[in-house]
Parts: sequence; structure tokens; C-alpha cells
Amino acid sequence: MPSTQKPMRYGHTEGHTDVCFDDTGSCIVTCGSDGDVRIWENLDDDDPKSITVGEKAYSCALKNGRLITAVSNNTVQIHTFPEGAPDGILTRFTMNANHVIFNSDGTKIAAGSSDFMVKVVEVTDSSKQKTFRGHDAPVLSLSFDPRDVYLASASCDGSVRVWKIADQTCTTSWPLLQKCNDVISAKSICRLGWQPGSGKLLAIPVDKVVKLYRRGTWDSQLDLSHKSITQSLNVVAWSPCGQYLAAASVDGNILVWNVETQECIERMQHEKNYTICGLAWHPKHKQIAYADTEGSLGLLENIGDGKKPNDKLAGAMTKDYNDLFDGEDDNCSNGDMIEPQSSPKAGANEDNDDLMPTLGLLRRAIIDDDNSLDIGMIKANSSLLEKEDDDDQAGGFSALPSSTQQPFYDGPMPTPKQKPFQSGSTPAHLAHRFMVWNSVGIIRCYNDEQDNAIDVEFHDTSIHHATHLPNSLNHTMADLSTEAILLACESTEELASKLHCIHFSSWDTNKEWTVDMPEDEDIEAVCLGQGWAACATSALLVRVFTVGGVQKEIFSLPGPVVSMAGHGEQLMVIYHRGTGFDGDQCLGVQLMELGKKKEQILHGDPLSLTKKSYLTWVGFSAEGTPCYVDSEGIVRMLNRGVGNTWIPVCNTREHCKGRSDHYWVVGIHENPQQLRCIPCKGARFPPTLPRPAVAILSFKLPYCQVTTEKGQMEEQYWRSVVFLNHVDYLLKNGYEIDENAKSQSVKEQQELLMKLFALSCKLEREFRCVELADLMTQNVVNLAIKYASRSRKLNLAQRLNEMAAEKVSELATAPEDEEDFRKHLNAGYRSSATEWSQLPVRNVQQDQEMEDAGETGAYEEAEETPEVQEQRPNTFSKGVTSAEVTTPKSAVIVSSSQGRVNPFKVSPNRKDPVVPSANVLDTMSKYPKKTSLSSSRAVNKQNPPVIKPLIPKPKSKQALAASFFQARTPTSSEKTVEEREEKTGNESHQVKVTAQQNTENGRPKTGFQMWLEENRANILTDNPDLNEAEVIKEGMSRFRILSSEERMVWTEKAKRGSVSDLAEDKKRKRPTTDEDEVKKDQEQKSEDSNVSKKTKPLDRSTNVRLSAFAFKQS
Amino acid sequence: MEPAEVEFLAEKELVTIVPNFSLDRIHLIGGDLGPFNPGLPVEVPVWLAINLKQRQKCRLIPPEWMDVEKLEEIRDQERKEDTFTPMPSPYYMELTKLLLNYASDNIPKADEIRTLVKDTWDTRVAKLRLSADSFVRQQEAHAKLDNLTLMEINTTGTFLTQALDHMYKLRTNLQPAE
Repeated sequence: MPSTQKPMRYGHTEGHTDVCFDDTGSCIVTCGSDGDVRIWENLDDDDPKSITVGEKAYSCALKNGRLITAVSNNTVQIHTFPEGAPDGILTRFTMNANHVIFNSDGTKIAAGSSDFMVKVVEVTDSSKQKTFRGHDAPVLSLSFDPRDVYLASASCDGSVRVWKIADQTCTTSWPLLQKCNDVISAKSICRLGWQPGSGKLLAIPVDKVVKLYRRGTWDSQLDLSHKSITQSLNVVAWSPCGQYLAAASVDGNILVWNVETQECIERMQHEKNYTICGLAWHPKHKQIAYADTEGSLGLLENIGDGKKPNDKLAGAMTKDYNDLFDGEDDNCSNGDMIEPQSSPKAGANEDNDDLMPTLGLLRRAIIDDDNSLDIGMIKANSSLLEKEDDDDQAGGFSALPSSTQQPFYDGPMPTPKQKPFQSGSTPAHLAHRFMVWNSVGIIRCYNDEQDNAIDVEFHDTSIHHATHLPNSLNHTMADLSTEAILLACESTEELASKLHCIHFSSWDTNKEWTVDMPEDEDIEAVCLGQGWAACATSALLVRVFTVGGVQKEIFSLPGPVVSMAGHGEQLMVIYHRGTGFDGDQCLGVQLMELGKKKEQILHGDPLSLTKKSYLTWVGFSAEGTPCYVDSEGIVRMLNRGVGNTWIPVCNTREHCKGRSDHYWVVGIHENPQQLRCIPCKGARFPPTLPRPAVAILSFKLPYCQVTTEKGQMEEQYWRSVVFLNHVDYLLKNGYEIDENAKSQSVKEQQELLMKLFALSCKLEREFRCVELADLMTQNVVNLAIKYASRSRKLNLAQRLNEMAAEKVSELATAPEDEEDFRKHLNAGYRSSATEWSQLPVRNVQQDQEMEDAGETGAYEEAEETPEVQEQRPNTFSKGVTSAEVTTPKSAVIVSSSQGRVNPFKVSPNRKDPVVPSANVLDTMSKYPKKTSLSSSRAVNKQNPPVIKPLIPKPKSKQALAASFFQARTPTSSEKTVEEREEKTGNESHQVKVTAQQNTENGRPKTGFQMWLEENRANILTDNPDLNEAEVIKEGMSRFRILSSEERMVWTEKAKRGSVSDLAEDKKRKRPTTDEDEVKKDQEQKSEDSNVSKKTKPLDRSTNVRLSAFAFKQS
Repeated sequence: MEPAEVEFLAEKELVTIVPNFSLDRIHLIGGDLGPFNPGLPVEVPVWLAINLKQRQKCRLIPPEWMDVEKLEEIRDQERKEDTFTPMPSPYYMELTKLLLNYASDNIPKADEIRTLVKDTWDTRVAKLRLSADSFVRQQEAHAKLDNLTLMEINTTGTFLTQALDHMYKLRTNLQPAE
């Protein structure tokens, strides 16, 4: 014989063992009763990769990187190959499955079980199952028709049946086998096989012959037998070309026939005559791997090398050869370290090989001559040579029979289309499943022997109590909203597909309605929105209903629906745009508004999915932004800010501990940023029991280099921007928004930008600084300018300033809608400032979106001015016109002083800044805005230095508000600027002081006022719980106690203060404030930010005192 | 200390619940709790969890260690070792009792857990008695016991110290007589 029988080696513990090759034939895969699947690179692989699949593995099959195994816990599982990660459970039986097989293209598997059942399951969608009932005893073996029409099965009831897969009917049945009651007692496991390619013949091992049945007529075509077969045959296996058939018997005999000629071309004997229970052909080479019931693995090589098999000779010499074989077997096992076997005949029988009728004889002989002493060497060499030969022959070997096969297509393969699904549901074939789990509640479906029911449970029991519904119509789809429960079932033979709505929030007594679909139209997906329900049907229609049951719009879909989701007035439909290739899906998405103004937002745009993934979840965030999740765990969200594009916001797989763990998404929240999902260990979806717990994942945009500070801040910034998009959308559609949250995130964004700016500054990246500044709002830009000039980057500061001016002029040229409204608001106190009453208005608009930040900015602006003044002390000289850099400051001064001024009083410096400057304007525009903020009042109370009662009673509300605002500015800005201040150094304190004084100087004061300012702190420390009015009252009484001289001094001071020129003041105060600054710097350095927060109000009062001191001196 | 007092202390431990109502963050002396979102797990002290549970306002998620397998392991370990093994929670007994009394419907295999914890407890208390016995018998001056929980100390502490006092008195009275 030409073929070489490699020595058997230990594979698994004793027991039934199965063997197969992988698609390319690069490795042998075995499974055994130890519950392991082993992947052998070759027979000599000493360290095969082991995958534990269960306690006991009965059968395994491998195709397209998927390894399916039938294990002792009665399941058929999928593992990835070669990684070996569990990929889910395909199907379950009530007893263990005995045989699992793939169909020819690997899309389906068939499994036959000891519970008499045969199931065909689609690999990608385990919900598509077909059950074949009819056998009266455990099913032994199965075989798929290569054309996917039939399925053959052998059972312990003695019958071999052929089933039609499409309708699960039994086409034919032969009583061929001996009846038995269990697989273990069966004489033969009867592994049968269809001829690959055409599927013309079905080979069934029956006792000592292989019967070949013809497809269609189902009559016995011929029998293949051999004299050497003394025991019943256990297994048959077709070569991939369909030309040869191998069969193995329970006593370890392996034979190979050429089916056309019915010649036996090979015959082999198991070295220990154990029962062979697994047989597999190499997909390319002429090799057969086999496994016996003792768990050993063997390999035959060079099958069919003897193209002119001397059957006669073989037949005639069987008896003699048996001995010879034995000898050879012994030789073979010499090399086998695992099964040490003494072989006294080793070497002596070497030339047995030569007697083999073989074409390879010559080659073998030569080798023998060379290495007759070393059997191991011979084996190695010969196998080497054979491998080379095989490689050469592989083409010819498979090319020859390819005429019988279907023409081979080598291009991209179309992906099976994803089935429609409901978001947040688990597969429909499960007895206990989630029909939906969303942010409203959970719908569970129980479908077992005792009960067929639906349980609805609400997360928030205040919406509705939990309900239990009978599921007599067999609903498979459901959705849940705060108004209604929507259920749908597919059509059956008698009943049409139904949409069933339980509108529990209805105020009348009829809370349910049902709608029948037209004939031949099946509901495939349903969803609920606010006040409406929708379903997509197999007729490519989307039907919209009101939640009360009125039929509304109908529209056609361009392709079969995949899933639908609703939120508020938005409806999102995902459908197949076409056929995807190579594992990709080709999906499209439509997003439409079903409110008063009906419009389509996404017009069937392609849906971006990760390669080779499919859609697993579609929905809206709680704020109404469309999102979806694919099977690779990537969560994508609609980015309304960038032209309705999709942005990946999270990769749930990054959070998984194990490779086969998944997160099952149940909801997305944008504020706070939460991805709510259920961790599933080793599965894609959770079981209903034990009740799974929701976990919260954070979002993370896939920005580069997030380990660096820069990348991290960039990611944070853009995440904040993306997750704020919903605000604009909600505003546009007239929904309420959470102003607080919004301003918070705007503030956060600006802070991040400032941090990034500072970072870039430190790294001397000035260009980048400018780019960052471009993203900032006006006020923060001003802070940035200050920062730049502080850190001696005058060039940068200059550029930023230019940019800021440009920005403002751009704004100024833009048309203004709100102007009239603004004017009206401002009219109360700003009528005199006609020449720039328009510009501020523009800034108002710009600033509207960022209240807190704006506020901060307003303050910072004031802060900044004096600093620049330091550099150019002549700012205030009357002649100054529109120098780009100087203008802002002068204006700021005005604004800051104006804030407190009684609008009806004409202050002398108000007219000073002739030039309307842009940078400044937002500062003032703040004030009218603040009037509406109730929060300002609250802050006010905590803020002692309010001088409200001392100002001549303002006649307009705006002015009053202005004083409110002025008072609260320092605190709020202290909070927000705190961080920045740490970076910018302590200079700002000094700046603040001067700013403060500026504002104070802008307005005439009474002596008492000045006195009070100085002594307020004292009063407050004495009586900490006084409110504003009380403080003043107390102050009054204290002031009265003072001697008249002292009072005179104060009045004098007040007069002087009000009359004195601003610039003069500056000059006088400069030294003191500088001292003050030094002092404070020292303090500041030793204190953390918290402490500084506390000390600030104190500082203020000391400043006031110091300034008063300055006055005294003069 | 009374067992009730120990239990009171144990009620400060945090457990996870899934509320079925919506409530903003609540500010209490002991710290802020919440916010409560329906369907979202949140950590609250045991006293609040039990209160909410009794009003059917939440579902309780048992602590991680309250699991049959883990407790079996702990029990076996406790039986094997001569010394005390560290417990999963310093209030394991109290928590088991409280949670199983009030929220047994949310804890899978509640009865088994009860038995297992009781077994562990019995083993530990037996050990404690044994060591107290040998301590007295050998008239040791000091002994060290690690990994005891407050409740366990409480079961024997008062009695043991008083007994030692008495014995001391008896011994000092005996000695002059000799």
C-alpha cells in the first residue's frame, strides 16, 4: 500500500472522539470525552492548543472560523476558531446532541440529539431554527445535502431518514440499521455522508457494506464492500472531491474506494483494532485523520497514490498482509513515545514496505537503502517528501473531480442579511426572554410548557404598575413607552399579523386596541413615540398610528426593515439598502420628525458599521439623539453639530474583561453622560434569571493619544461639545432644557480650552494657541490674551487681540434680530449711550449661550483693563482714538463703572471712551440679562458687600439689577476663574483690586458709604447673621456714634473721591495696591485654592480699607 | 454593647439597590445619597435600603459575597483553619440577617445562604469558646484574636471579662490562705 499510516497518538481520554480538519487543512481538530477540543498543527504536535468546551464533547464541526461542539450540558455551542473563545449557544436539547455538522457553505448547522430531535440552526441567527421530529430513538448521525435541500439522519430506531429542510418533512426512510435504545449500545454510529459537490449519492454504512443511494429516486445504487470487512462499518467519509469514499469499521479497519470504479484503493488496519469513530479527509491533501473510541488520533497519508490499485493483490493477500500490517504497525509505534510498545520485530520487518503494492515503492525503497537503520529518520524523510509531493499533487487531485462540483467563485461573498430585531430584546427562540428592556421598563416573555405569558415591569412604578398578560397570540415583538405597551405578532396560518397596543395612560376605559395587518403582510418591527406608534412590515411599509389607534401616515421603505426606534416626535428606521459582502451589512437609516412639521432629517443615508459587524441596538438617548450599537460593541451617536454625521462615542468591548464578554446596551443618557448596559459574561445577551443588574459605562471618543494631557483634554472638550448638541436640537424644537446643566458644560468646555491654551503656551506652540483661541468665546479669549501677555508672549497676545477684534467685527456685520427687544430692555438706562447701544446688543446674542462663562468673562474683562493700563498709562487721555489695542480698555472701564451707576446720572467719564470697542461690549450686555436670573438674588444674600440701599433709589429695574450683578460678580468669577488663576499666577488679584476701585470711583459717594465700606467687615464679624438692611442699619448707628470730626473727615473724603480725576486716583493708589499685591502673593503662595476662596472677600475689604488709607494720606 | 446596637452600626454599611422611583440627590447628615433613577443601581445604607424595600420602592441587589459558592468556600476555609479567617464583611452576620429578613425575595437561594452563614458563625463562635476555654485553663495573661467581627466579640466579651474578674478575685483570695 502506498499510503503511510502514521502512528496513533494520544488525543483525549478514552471515549467517543470526533475529528475534523479546519478549512485550509492546516490543522486537525479533535474533541473527546474529556470535554476538550484540541487543535493539532500536525500529528507530531506535542503541544496542541486545548479549548475546554464542556464536561464531555460528543461531536465537533469547524467552518469559517467557527467551531461548533455538542457537549454534555445538552447544548450546541459556538467557539471562535482558532482563538477558542465561546461565542454563544446555538441551540439546546433536552438530552445531549450526538452529532453536529455544518452545511456546505457554513451558514447552517444541523444537530441530532438523544432526545430524538434533529435541529437545523442558522449560525448567525440562532433564532432561526428548524426542528425535525420523527425519529423514535436517539439520533446517531446526520449529513447535510451539499445543495442544502435535504438532510439525512440515522437513528437508533434503525431507520435512516432523508428530510426536506425547507418544510421539515421526511422524504424517505429506510429501515437499515439494528434497533437499539441508546447510542452506547448501538452497534454502529452510522456516520453517513452525501457526496460532496452534486450530492448525487448518499453513502450509508450498513453492517459490512456501504450502501449508496441515489438522490431523487432514493433507490440503492450500489454497495461497496470488501472481503476484509469482518465487523460492521461505523463511519463513512467522502473525499472533498467526491471521488473517493472512506469507511471505517468498529474493529479498526479503514478502507477507501474509488466510487466510480468501485475499486478499493486503500486498506488500513488500526494498530490496536480499536473502533474508529471519527474520520475526516484533509480538504486538499490526500490525508485522512481518524480517531478511535480510546481517544487516540491517527493520520493516513498519500491516500490514493496507488492510482492503479492492485485490488486483486490486496484482496488475495489480505490474510498474509494482516500479519504484515501488524508488524508495520509495531514499527510505526516505535517512534511513538506516548504509547511505548515493544517491537522486537522492528527493523527486521523493514522491507514489509517493499511488499506493498505501490507506486511509491521506488521512492520508499531508496529511502530504505539510505536509512535502513533508523526508522524514525525514514518516517521523517518520507513524510517530508510526501508533503512536497502532496503539495504538487494537490492541484491535480482536486482539479480532477472539480467538474462534478459547482463552479468555484472566488470573489467577495454576499453576507446573509441581518434579520429584523427589536432593540433591547433577546432572541425569540428562548423560552424566557426579554422582549424589550429600555429606559421605561422591561417586558419579559415566558414561553414554556406551563405558561405563555408576558410580564411588563416599569422601572418607575409611578408610571404604571407591573402587569402580567397572557400571550395567546404569541407576540414576539414589543415596545414600551411611558404611555403605552405595544405588542405585535407574526401571522399564522389562520390569523393575520396583529399589532396590539395597551394604551395604559388613556383616560377613558378602553385601554387596548388591535389592528390586523393585510394578508401576507407581517409585522417585522415596532416602535413607540410620544403619542404615536409605528410598525414596519414585510411589505416594506411603515405604518404610523396614533397611540389611541387612529391610522396615520404610511410610507414605503427602500428595503427590508432591520429595526425601528421612536422618541418624542422622531422616528428612526434602519433597513437593508442592499447586499453586503464579506461579512459586512449594508444598512440605511431614515430619521424623520412626525410632529406638526413633518420632515425627513436623514434621507436613507448609509449607516456606518464596524467591518464584519451587524446592528445590535438602535435607539435614542434620553435627550433624543439617535444612537446605535453594532455587534463589535461600538456605540455611535448622531452628531447634529457636524451635519448629521455619526460619531463613535464608546467602545463597550474595551470595558469587557473577557473576549467573549459583551455589554448589552439598554439606554443612553447624554446628561449625565451615561451608557446604561448589562454586562454579559460569555454571551451577547443576558438571561432573564438571575435578574441582571444594570451597569454604567462612560463615553469616550476615539481621539488619538488620550494618554497625554493634551489628547485627554481634547477628547473631553469634544465629548462635551458632542453631548451638548442635543440642547440646540431641543431648543430648536421648543423643548425645555436644563439651563444649569448647559451652562455647566459650556463652562467646562471653556475651561478645557483655557487649559489646552495654557498647555500649548507652555510648549511654545503659539500657532496652536491661536487655533485654540479661535474655539473660545469672546470672554475667554480675553483671558487668553491676558495669559499670553503674562507669560511674556507678546506676539501671541497681539495676534489674539487682532483675532478677537476680527471676531467682533464679524459679529457686528451680522444682521441682528433681537435688536429691538434689546433696545427696549436697555432703554431704561442706556438711552444716553446712543453711539454704542447697538454693539452691545450683538454681544448679548453671542453671549446668550454661555451665561456663566460670560459672567466670568465680564469680570475678567474688568480685571484685565488695568493691567494693560500699566503698560500704557496714557489710555485715558482724551485724544485716544481707535488704536486697536487700547480701545478695549477704555471701554471696559466705562462698562465696569457703568454697571453700578445710576443710569440717570450722567457721569463725566462716560463720555470719555468715544470709540466703541468690540471686546468690551459683552461685559455690559450682561447686565440687562441678569435681571431675569433669580439665582442672582440668592447669591446676593450671601454677598455682604452690596451697597444697594445706599445708591439713590434706582427708578428702573434694570439699574437695580445692574447693582445686583455687580455685587455678585466677584464671587461667581472667583469660582470659575479659580483654576485659571492658579495658572496665571496671582497677578489677577491686584488687577481685581484696581478694577474694584475703578468702579467705585466712577460714582459719587457719601461719607457714610465710604465709612460703611471700610467697616462692613467689622460689622459682619461682630454680627455674622445680619442681612443687608440690618448691616446698614447697624452701620448707621455706629456711624452716628462717631465724633462729628470723624464724620467730617469721611464726608470730606467722599467729596474728594467723587471729584478727583480717575487718572489721578490711579497714580495715588498704585503704590498701595502694589504693596497689597506683594503681600497677597505671599499669602497666596502658601495657601491652596480653597483657602484663597475664603480669603478673597476679606481681601476686598482690606483693599477698601487700604484705599481709604490712601485717601487719608492725601 | 447590645446586639441591637451592633446591628445599628451595621446598618451604616452600603448596599446596592435598584429604585423604582425617581428622586434627586438627598442631603443627609451622614452624607449625600442618590440621585435615584428608576432602574439604575445606586448605593445606599442598609437602613435606607430596608426602609425602601419595605415600602416596595426598590429591589435589592445582594452584596457580592452573598452567594452560595463564595459562602461555601468561606465556610470550608473557616472549618479547615484553626484560627479565624477574614470575613467578607465586618458585619456579615448582621447584614445576612437584615437582608434576608426584609429582602429575601431579591436574594437567590436565600435559605441556603442563611444556613451557610449560620454554619460559618457557629464554627467561629465555637472556635472563640474553645480559645477562651484554653485561655482560662492555661491561665494565660494575654491572647490575640484576629479577624473577629464586632458581633462575635460582643457575644463573649462582657461575659469573659467579668468571668476573668471573678476568677482573679477568687485566686487572690485563695493565695493568702495558702
